[in-house]
Amino acid sequence: MASITLQDLNTKAEIRKKTAKPLLWIGIVSIVMFFSGWTSAVIVSKGGNGNWLNIELPFAFSLSTIIIVLSSLLFHYGLISIKKDNKKMLKLAVSLTLVLGLLFVVSQFYGWKELYSNGIVATGSSSTNASSFIYLITVFHVLHLLAGIISLIVVSVKSYKEKYNSTNFLGVEVSIIYWHFLGALWIYLFLFLKYIA
Amino acid sequence: MSTHHHHDQDFLFKYVFSQDHKMISKQFLITGFIMGFIGLIMSTLFRLQLGWPGESFWIIDKLLGSWAENGVMAPDKYLALVTMHGTIMVFFLLTAGLSGTFSNLLIPLQIGARDMASGFLNMLSFWFFFLSSVIMLISLGVEGGAASAGWTIYPPLSALPQAIPGSGLGMTLWLVAMALFIVGSLLGSLNYIVTILNLRTKGMSMTRLPLTIWAFLLTAIIGVVSFPVLLSAALLLIFDRGFGTSFYLSDIYIGGQVLEHNGGSPILFEHLFWFLGHPEVYIVLLPALGITSEIISTMTRKPIFGYRAMIGSMVAIAFLSTIVWGHHMFVTGMNPFLGAVFTFTTLLIAIPSAVKVFNYLTTLWKGNIKFSPATLFSIGLVSTFISGGLTGLILGDSALDINVHDTYFVVGHFHIVMGLSAIFGMFAGVYHWFPKLFGRMMNNKIGQLHFWITIVCAYGIFFPMHFLGLAGVPRRYYTNSEFPLFDNLLDINVLISTFAIIIAFGQLLFLYNFVFSALRGPKAPQNPWDSNSLEWTAPVEHIHGNWYGDIPEVYRWPYDYSKVDENGEYIGGKDFIPQTTPLYDNETDEAH
Repeated sequence: MASITLQDLNTKAEIRKKTAKPLLWIGIVSIVMFFSGWTSAVIVSKGGNGNWLNIELPFAFSLSTIIIVLSSLLFHYGLISIKKDNKKMLKLAVSLTLVLGLLFVVSQFYGWKELYSNGIVATGSSSTNASSFIYLITVFHVLHLLAGIISLIVVSVKSYKEKYNSTNFLGVEVSIIYWHFLGALWIYLFLFLKYIA
Repeated sequence: MSTHHHHDQDFLFKYVFSQDHKMISKQFLITGFIMGFIGLIMSTLFRLQLGWPGESFWIIDKLLGSWAENGVMAPDKYLALVTMHGTIMVFFLLTAGLSGTFSNLLIPLQIGARDMASGFLNMLSFWFFFLSSVIMLISLGVEGGAASAGWTIYPPLSALPQAIPGSGLGMTLWLVAMALFIVGSLLGSLNYIVTILNLRTKGMSMTRLPLTIWAFLLTAIIGVVSFPVLLSAALLLIFDRGFGTSFYLSDIYIGGQVLEHNGGSPILFEHLFWFLGHPEVYIVLLPALGITSEIISTMTRKPIFGYRAMIGSMVAIAFLSTIVWGHHMFVTGMNPFLGAVFTFTTLLIAIPSAVKVFNYLTTLWKGNIKFSPATLFSIGLVSTFISGGLTGLILGDSALDINVHDTYFVVGHFHIVMGLSAIFGMFAGVYHWFPKLFGRMMNNKIGQLHFWITIVCAYGIFFPMHFLGLAGVPRRYYTNSEFPLFDNLLDINVLISTFAIIIAFGQLLFLYNFVFSALRGPKAPQNPWDSNSLEWTAPVEHIHGNWYGDIPEVYRWPYDYSKVDENGEYIGGKDFIPQTTPLYDNETDEAH
């Protein structure tokens, strides 16, 4: 029986290596379906509603787009660095990505503030479907982004502890796939809300 | 650490917070069955009302209490029971109970893996499901009663808490429970897919997988694609209910008072709901198809006929299932052209379904059939899949569907094709893999009796419903005695209800057999059905990691039954060759 335990330890690490990324990818598929549910709902609602309100997106959301693209590029630079065993660069890149991630959240709040001050509200009698959807979709994107921020915190702590090197960077990879996805998702949602909704 | 303390921890992690797929499988099975029995009791109770409307029953009085004054079920509570029966059966028994049990048990064992990709996610998957089950049951006891808008929870009934008693807290809890359920289901599906794709043992190519695994894989894929959309629909509903949005509501009056909601459409909900709802049919059905394919091949001692065609047709069914949702909405004022498109895609499903039926029959044909309860239930599935599938052609055609929409014809159809097929598959699976689940054998005789009672009564219940439907009897009505039109149909309801009562008692046989065998049944041999697949090479007692020593290697597909050489002698001397047996000299690989 003792041999099983030893084997277990080996297989656990091996299994994680084989499955971490596929697990994430399929998780991403389900998130994509979740948001496509809502964006399709926007299209259906718009089609059946003669009084659909076309809402101009706040400037802060454009800023968000720039921030998240920058953060993705930076994070990717971190990944390239650790593949070359440049631990210092990874630390710097991940920390800056984290800062940009938080800035993204801040910019979203500014966006919501701008919408609100223009009289565009999420609920209540003066809300419309168009305005409710804008808040809902962006808020739920940020909720998903919070998971990304948590993973960024974990990766930065681990990189400061020098846990990663050129042969062991699965954690960075997993985190970066999710982060790129969040960026892509935001760009899709941004363009969708700007041009279709 | 004291020994005693260590033991406590062992117990907690072995039986409760287990990360072992075999234990999680049993947790799913038992939770699923408990929910299933509750759903069954509910249906028996409302069948009493339908068969003998307005009569007082002692059992209803005892079981339902304030829901049934003087033993007569209250109309709104009838709606609650129908809703909860549907929800529990579709989601808790036949989605989580069926997929959760057999995907967990069989995926690692049949592909040759130590465990799931992530034991932790797997454990979470069960506990989300368990929590969801508890909340769903609690919702039965809250003020106003459980959700009553039907298992499809269409707004506005479900969107306005003040609409009917069941639209209140019961509906809120329904939504909370389903949100948790979806999370659990997604975590499970993630694991199933990744495990199948990444952790197969050496030699286990995709075309050497048992059909069970293919079915579980496709089921999980449909789940990952469609359950998030139900979650998105449910969230919009939650916002409409509690936060003053109007996604599904427009120009609504309640008690003469205008509500603030404006601009939404309940049809939107139907689109989102059925985008899950139809694939859900196949989430329920595919595992049953996989399980019975495996059983029929093993128990007829014949290779499955058309292995690749079976896979192909399941892939086709899985794909088509996502583009047919509109056939649930033919009467929503849908553009007739769009209706025609959905009719077309829907009827296309008949092709892969017919391929599967053909393959089932050709596998059975001239087989050396061993009529175990598992075989009987598998053949039962072939029967229900045909008889329920044929009425699907009628309902899938918009021109015909409009005439029987929302009548008992629909109830009869989906109970046979989806409900019976799936539960037959589940029973078949339990009888067949019971030795693997509990290391003991079930009683064959009681199992066979259970089958015959079940199939006779099941058809007795659901077949006559088609006639009710054709006569125009609407579904979900508390009673039809107010309509003279239906007066001469009441006897049919008496008949149906009588069968419903007998079938409910028939399930006690199963319950007894299950519990007694799990505790006291004869010990299972290593390979009780002389089966080829990998799970029977694992030790009978459950060990962590599934196999002592190395994971066995695979050299052939799992359906080498009764394989003979040119002299007509069995290759290997027996009528089965396990997947772990290397190819004999001069033998060709049958992995088609």
